[in-house]
Amino acid sequence: MEQTRNLDPRIRECIRKRGFAELSEIQALALPQVQAGKHLVLIAPTGTGKTESAMIPVFDALLRERSAGFSALYITPLRSLNRDMLQRLSWWCRELGITVGVRHGDTTTTERRKQALSPPDLLITTPETLQALFMGKVLRKHLRNVRYVIVDEIHELASGKRGAQLAVALERLAEYCGEFQRIGLSATVGNPDEMGRFLCGERDFSVVQVDVTKHLELSVEFAGDSFEKQARWVGEAIDRHESTLVFVNTRVTAEALGHQLFSRGDVEVHHGSLSRDVRIDAEERFKSGKLRALICTSSMELGIDIGHIEHVIQFGSPREVSRLIQRVGRAGHSLYETSRGTILATGFDDLLESLVIARRAKAGEAESVHPPVNPADVLANQIAGLAVEYGRISRGRIRNILSRCPAFPSNGNLIDRVCAQMAEHRLIRLDGDEVITTLRARRYLAANLSMIHDERKVQVFDMVSRRTVATLDESFVVGSIYTGAVFITKGQLWRVLDMEEGRIIVEPARRVKGELPSWEGEQIPVPYAVAREVGRLRRTRSFQSYGAGEVSGQFASGFLTEMDRNRSRVPDDTLIVLEGGKEGVVCNCCAGHRANEALGRAVSVLLSARYGTTVGIEIDAYRILFQLPSHVGTAEVREALSGLDPAHVEGILQIAMKRTALFKWKLVQVAKKFGAIDPDADYERLSSYKLIELFENTVVQDETYRELFSVYMDVAAAGRILAHIRDGSITVETGRISLLGADGLFSSRDQIPPPLADHAVLSTLRRRIEGQEIVLACMNCRKWKSRTVAGRVQDHPVCPRCGARLIAVLKPWEEEQYAAAARKEKSEEEKTAEARLLRNANIVLSGGKKAVLALAAKGVGPEIASRILATLAEGDAFFAEILKAERNYIRTRKYW
Amino acid sequence: MSLGFFSGGPALLVSNTRRVLVVADLHLGIESDMARHGLHFRSRCRERLERLESCIRDASPDLLIILGDLKHGVPLTSRQEFREIPEFIERLRSLVAVQIVPGNHDTGIEMFFEPAEILPKEGAVVDGTGYVHGHMYPDPSLAGLLIIAGHHHPLASLKDEVGCAMRSPVYLFSPVDGECLGFPPGNRSPTRIMFMPAFNELSGYDLVRTVREPFSPISRCARWEAAEVFLPDGTFIGPVSSLEDYGADQEP
Repeated sequence: MEQTRNLDPRIRECIRKRGFAELSEIQALALPQVQAGKHLVLIAPTGTGKTESAMIPVFDALLRERSAGFSALYITPLRSLNRDMLQRLSWWCRELGITVGVRHGDTTTTERRKQALSPPDLLITTPETLQALFMGKVLRKHLRNVRYVIVDEIHELASGKRGAQLAVALERLAEYCGEFQRIGLSATVGNPDEMGRFLCGERDFSVVQVDVTKHLELSVEFAGDSFEKQARWVGEAIDRHESTLVFVNTRVTAEALGHQLFSRGDVEVHHGSLSRDVRIDAEERFKSGKLRALICTSSMELGIDIGHIEHVIQFGSPREVSRLIQRVGRAGHSLYETSRGTILATGFDDLLESLVIARRAKAGEAESVHPPVNPADVLANQIAGLAVEYGRISRGRIRNILSRCPAFPSNGNLIDRVCAQMAEHRLIRLDGDEVITTLRARRYLAANLSMIHDERKVQVFDMVSRRTVATLDESFVVGSIYTGAVFITKGQLWRVLDMEEGRIIVEPARRVKGELPSWEGEQIPVPYAVAREVGRLRRTRSFQSYGAGEVSGQFASGFLTEMDRNRSRVPDDTLIVLEGGKEGVVCNCCAGHRANEALGRAVSVLLSARYGTTVGIEIDAYRILFQLPSHVGTAEVREALSGLDPAHVEGILQIAMKRTALFKWKLVQVAKKFGAIDPDADYERLSSYKLIELFENTVVQDETYRELFSVYMDVAAAGRILAHIRDGSITVETGRISLLGADGLFSSRDQIPPPLADHAVLSTLRRRIEGQEIVLACMNCRKWKSRTVAGRVQDHPVCPRCGARLIAVLKPWEEEQYAAAARKEKSEEEKTAEARLLRNANIVLSGGKKAVLALAAKGVGPEIASRILATLAEGDAFFAEILKAERNYIRTRKYW
Repeated sequence: MSLGFFSGGPALLVSNTRRVLVVADLHLGIESDMARHGLHFRSRCRERLERLESCIRDASPDLLIILGDLKHGVPLTSRQEFREIPEFIERLRSLVAVQIVPGNHDTGIEMFFEPAEILPKEGAVVDGTGYVHGHMYPDPSLAGLLIIAGHHHPLASLKDEVGCAMRSPVYLFSPVDGECLGFPPGNRSPTRIMFMPAFNELSGYDLVRTVREPFSPISRCARWEAAEVFLPDGTFIGPVSSLEDYGADQEP
């Protein structure tokens, strides 16, 4: 064992006892680097001895020199990983006489007290508990001598706000104990250097990487598009191997597949909604060989040790390359063994996507991780943390600490804005340049250690059946639920009757027109690059070169041949096809979920502004469905799409997003992190539309937009598609709805509200006017009148008696005027009335139905009606004219 | 008599022989109560004063009537209220004569007003129009008049085909059953009530809920089938029935 020669003999003994003949590749690479005291990022799949490669040299150093308090911190994103690490490292620590402890949310008070009195050398913890360590005086003292910090699953943390929070925490730690050695462990990512910068900031670091792709054996299969066939295929595949992990993308699929395979008796389901005991039991039984297969969601992606896995099945496209590498990486691994994985594709899009992702995985083209830049709510959280930690701290010092974190580049002005906002919520006090803690700040911090949004669940109680029918996420409740609202959950319609502490009282609703908010949870988005390559594959049809098998290859080319036979153009990476159908217009655009989301929303805003209608959209990675009224078709969508300037997309989206449930949900989350809203706040005190007003033009609103535009949609990628349309490298064609356009599961539903709030007013007005009772009266023969409602009148009403089109429109209470007009002898007053009726009828003669509607409005007589008709306004604009006339009438009305 | 709608308030100008500007439900001090319920915002008292001042400038009234619930804390007066209310009223007094019809939140309001500025809480007739806060039976002297009332904070949800809602404070104009209110029988003209939207921008109560479950004498006696809804700028929305859930079934 050449590489271990300069290690402490006790460590070499341990390595021998563990039965390692030699170090694994990653261990051999990492050891000298860690020993040399370098900051390091280790990139290797789970199960390759990554943890040991970091810890063996750390143990070695601890044997030589230990100090009071914690010497090393091992940080993982999950409590379950903490427990797993404790098990793995306990053996080493026992053998070496190093003390080890774990501390996280589940740790008992006794254990915590023990740690405070005699801190272990090595503390395994989560980023959130690290935050808590800064709060206590005693624990803070124990942080004085930290010399090593190991961050596990760093790719998982770096991509979100938890990572930004951790990065600041590491700099806060450095304020206590000076510089320490930083070691990050990561799964395969497209940008390893970014992981290093995330961990170390401006400090020098090295990256040690094991090439997983050469040990990856991937295939893509297709077993028909019925779920029963697919489940049968999974069953047979399980039989072919000793142990199998079956990854699915949603909990619902996990349950459904489990249901099909339970009768075998050797399969269990494992996902986040199950209780911890059930999950641990399944893990144990799998480890001991009692189970042959586990059906799991991303819960099994991270490195929890469940023993040897021979084969990994990915049910349906993995959506992302890194996800596939991570999941399949769970198989194999006694060092150099190959990881074998099979993707079972479930449909056409799914198959092409799987082929593309498998190719990219083998080529090592994992997605890059993009840490958030300047997340203002993390900043607020950390400023509160610093205020509590120091009692009183200058903004200069805060600025200094943050300037070492790459997550907060050029944060000068942002810090001041965030401080001002927090002071407004009385979370901190400001005294010149100083930030001062408050009583509330400590309480806030205790409730907000985590940047993971802690969602409250709200029960839905059905008045009629008197039982709880569902639970909704708080976000949905805040955004879309108010008394009288109708929504969908569990496939049924409900109307909100009342909201009480923590629950919503509903009754079943029966019939509702149009789109409704529904709660179905989130999905994994397909990245832009994958969707573009799927487009290219549609164009080249070179399925064989992508390693498609006979069945899957035939299915894919058969599908496209059918398209050709129907004379449907196949949309690809250079062609967008707009297809008109019953539901609206499908825009086939291979750009991935996030770009399509941005594109779809922006175009729909233009359409609803231009045509004064509400536009519903549904999107997936390859299409956008615009739900449109019949007079808006493919030509109009094409015009909107081609005319959209990439530079305007973000501005348009800012306006559009503000009215969505998603925006409100995010705003509440961010506001909570700013201390404006307590975790147990009583939302009934304030309706959500007012909440939005309260945060208008604040840093809270800016952060909400920042997150929406970087996490939920990809404005930059949408801009690239639009630029391609402009320079002609993507052409836009129109056609009838095709096999491919109608295909695909639309699962992301949202309603795009109209561009003006006025639209709701106009819609209400229009419904009232169309429902207004009126009397049609013939002014030619003067012998026919009929009661009806304005909306039911035909375009040009005709008298059935004499065939004349000279029809006056009267309000029910004006009927007697008509009787008077038919009389031979008339008073002066009656003559005036008759003249007015004639004018009235003349307007209907020339204006038709529009005249009828105008005359049905409150206080609108022939003069005003003809003025309204003279504007030639149509649609919403026409009703806006009526509205103006009514407002005028009300202003001058004398009797109330 | 005519009504002027000032949507910047919302405030209502009642013009007859005098010009009377009416606002209802200011709920000054609401922020400290919200903070007790987990919602922390700075006081918006100054913005409310500015809004009211601008209404007064635009309407140039002879009298300002505050239709109750000037303050929020009940039964106690919060520190925030002690801090903000005296200055608020002083500022109004410097612009126009002020009177208040006390509401259910106005306990202890006597310490902020001169006795002559406080109208009876059962309501008063000023220049031919009745004024009540709206939480109790109105005085019989208001029978047969247009009565302006606060207390109900009416809020309407307007929906379009897609179900998107715009929510807005609104005026509700409704005839009321005088007998039900205990008014003496007589051949006077029918009594009508104009329910004011809350001036406080954070308050609002869905009017459909008030119609379904009336919670005050006047809302129980209102003849809702004939009630009409107006936006703060005077836009006529329609009868209350037009606001029932669009497209949804209604039980007969």
